[in-house]
Amino acid sequence: MTVEERDQTAFHSLAARLEVLFGQGPDQAWTDEEFGALALEVFEVQFTSNVVYRGFCEGRGVTSASVDDWRQIPAVPTRAFKHLDLLSASPAEATFQTSGTTSDLGLRGRHLIPRVSLYEASLLPCFSAHLMPEGKSLRFISLIPDPEHARDSSLSYMVGAAARRFASRTDYVVDGSGVVDHGVLAAAVADAQAAAEAVLMLGTAFAFMNVMEHSDVCLGPLPQGSRIMETGGFKGRGRAVPRDELYEAMSRATSVPVERIVNEYGMTELLSQLYEPVLTGESLGCGHIAPPWLQVRAVDPTTLRELPEGEAGLLTFFDLANAGSVAHILTEDFGAVRDGRVFLEGRAAGAEPRGCSRAMDELMAVAR
Amino acid sequence: MSRPFSAWALPSSVQAAVLSTVSLDGGRGAGEDGDIRVEYPAGAPDWIASVVDALEVSRSSLVRRSAEGIAGLLGAVGFRFMSPGDPIREEALRLLPGTAGVSAEMAETILDGMAADWTPARLAALLGEEFGAPGMLDEFTEGRGQRSIPVGPRLTAQFVSGSVPGVSVNALIRALLVKSPTLVKPGLGDVVLPVLFVRALREADAALADAVAVVYWPGGSVSSEDIVLARAEMVTAYGGDDTVAALRARVPVSTRFRAYHHRTSIGVVGRGALGPATVSTTTDDLARAVAVFDQRGCVSPQVVFVEEGGEMSPAAFADALAASFEALEADLPGGALDAAEASTLQQLRGTAEMMGAAGSGVECTHGGTASWTVIFDPDAQLASACVGRVVRVRPIPSAQDLPAVLESVAAHLQTVGVAGLGQNLDGLAERLGRLGASRVVPFAQVPFPPAWWHHDGGGPLRDLVRYIDLSSENCRI
Repeated sequence: MTVEERDQTAFHSLAARLEVLFGQGPDQAWTDEEFGALALEVFEVQFTSNVVYRGFCEGRGVTSASVDDWRQIPAVPTRAFKHLDLLSASPAEATFQTSGTTSDLGLRGRHLIPRVSLYEASLLPCFSAHLMPEGKSLRFISLIPDPEHARDSSLSYMVGAAARRFASRTDYVVDGSGVVDHGVLAAAVADAQAAAEAVLMLGTAFAFMNVMEHSDVCLGPLPQGSRIMETGGFKGRGRAVPRDELYEAMSRATSVPVERIVNEYGMTELLSQLYEPVLTGESLGCGHIAPPWLQVRAVDPTTLRELPEGEAGLLTFFDLANAGSVAHILTEDFGAVRDGRVFLEGRAAGAEPRGCSRAMDELMAVAR
Repeated sequence: MSRPFSAWALPSSVQAAVLSTVSLDGGRGAGEDGDIRVEYPAGAPDWIASVVDALEVSRSSLVRRSAEGIAGLLGAVGFRFMSPGDPIREEALRLLPGTAGVSAEMAETILDGMAADWTPARLAALLGEEFGAPGMLDEFTEGRGQRSIPVGPRLTAQFVSGSVPGVSVNALIRALLVKSPTLVKPGLGDVVLPVLFVRALREADAALADAVAVVYWPGGSVSSEDIVLARAEMVTAYGGDDTVAALRARVPVSTRFRAYHHRTSIGVVGRGALGPATVSTTTDDLARAVAVFDQRGCVSPQVVFVEEGGEMSPAAFADALAASFEALEADLPGGALDAAEASTLQQLRGTAEMMGAAGSGVECTHGGTASWTVIFDPDAQLASACVGRVVRVRPIPSAQDLPAVLESVAAHLQTVGVAGLGQNLDGLAERLGRLGASRVVPFAQVPFPPAWWHHDGGGPLRDLVRYIDLSSENCRI
């Protein structure tokens, strides 16, 4: 067996075990020891097979032999995904891209996935636990593109995988770039009304806002028992509309009560997602829940030291579902962790350069 | 416990209206007094109009003064900011860290550097450089077949960014020297010095102080700003491209507009500076040029191009530069970053480290909790960010290649700090200048240009004036 083959085997056997554990559901309580032991195993695989990540760790004085607590494992900044393919087992079965932003030369990040079944094993139980806790299938109306038309979107992949498993019928009402087809949307809503079948409507905050700008577009009323998954509302700076206003508008447009609008928080660089558990009896603002295989910490943005319970800082994620790439991720999102819940604050404003100076490369990039 | 600072200095006939406040805290580097709460007049448009009225009234006595007399008065006030123990200097040093986000040591360095240009001798020299003789501004001067006099605007409205403390004072001095009443709106990071300057000016000469209004308000307060823009004869804008563009679009066509928009500055190190005897001087001066203003100044070098083929390689130069930053941190500590800036810096450093591990040639050396960061980036692969003392080092086969490399940034190029170019200096300076640069100086001079520098290529006073030509009947051209 070659070195690569041995690495492959190590990854896939670990991933297979993780899939089984994820399959037991997000409600299982894991002890810190259970999570920690698996995290160290994941790190061992990544340190061994991901040369770039190994070099990064060694540069910070960390090796798989030196680490005895997963919290010591170096976290990779999300921007590194814009420059590097961080694969810890090859070949990639899928490649997901982040949406381009104006910062960082407009580069899009890439997350290469060597085993999509591990992604599905993580996303499906959380999706069903937070969006369909009754365990009954629903009709999906998606403002998120069909994965057939958006193969590089991890969000589309998620919706597609969940739809295959849980939906009685799925209507994608947007094209591959997210532009809503108002006719298709109206037909999907009318059909659900006629069938009187509860709907799960899925979309980004941005998509909902766009649709609601057109007064003639009909998002509802959706039948009794319907609910909405909204995502992206915590991303980016300066939300155009405050969250409660957005939710009230969505509720008016769909007849879905505000307390049945579920915020999902995820990112291309993380294969597990967090949800606000409003469908299981909790109220808006109760904080987001991560599955037990995803540990979230708030760290001081300057020292990267973990902050005391409840104090807001930069969020770092250790996601065992990321076993095939890098598991420990340093994001640019701020939030606090309290009683196991994550309270998201989104991006901090002010990271724009102050004053008349401007990064040279951003200017040079114009000519590239 | 936060303490208030009143961010205005108004003509004596005007009272500050209802107050609003903004708190400066978090990462901005609170001083010994804790966080600072900046209070400013929540001026309704008619209140702003009354400020402009008062400034217009001041003009008749302002224009009767001699330019030399004004320079002397302003210089005497400016000198107080240079004088150890003077209460106005002490107050400035107390307030700067909390408002400008700089360390106490940096506050002193910046104040010394800026106020050096506010002395009687420097201001007289500025008038001399710009107009030949100060008297030129006082009466018609004989020219070829006509007599001329430069006159300052009826009102100069000035919008100044907050990135470098003291720039607002330069702005108000320039207007007063050409006998123009001026309204200065400083950015939040530069509220202290202009207010203290006008306060000291009032002690020295209340009538001259009545020709200035310094007032902070949040940028983009359109209704108030439009009143000012409509009544100013001249508008100056210091700031980012977006800010300047937004302002420019609202200025009436007949109003003159001088923009000091986004600028980027660079360094060039020639082989002549890469010998063992000279390199540490170069890296020390360069580190200081980056460190002053914590890389927020338009003069701050963002990228340093180092010639290959010298006694020291560009990569080794980057290491030496890192050592200079480390040493400098003790004398001139960096200011605290706010949370978002700190986050951006973590992303930049971590990504650079990852790229280094990927064999890209990128190397990142940094000061841990200190913001200084040297990124050796041979192929310009990384995006940078204006967050603290971050500088990138790029190798270049020959400094002669620079004009081609810099083509795309020509419109934003400003200062070029240089070392070790020897006899190539003049030729390269001219080529870079024709491209867009307006200033080529040794690294040691980068942070503080003299009062009479051609700011972004223009005359700091001549850009403000217009000339009146007078020709008598019996005069032949």
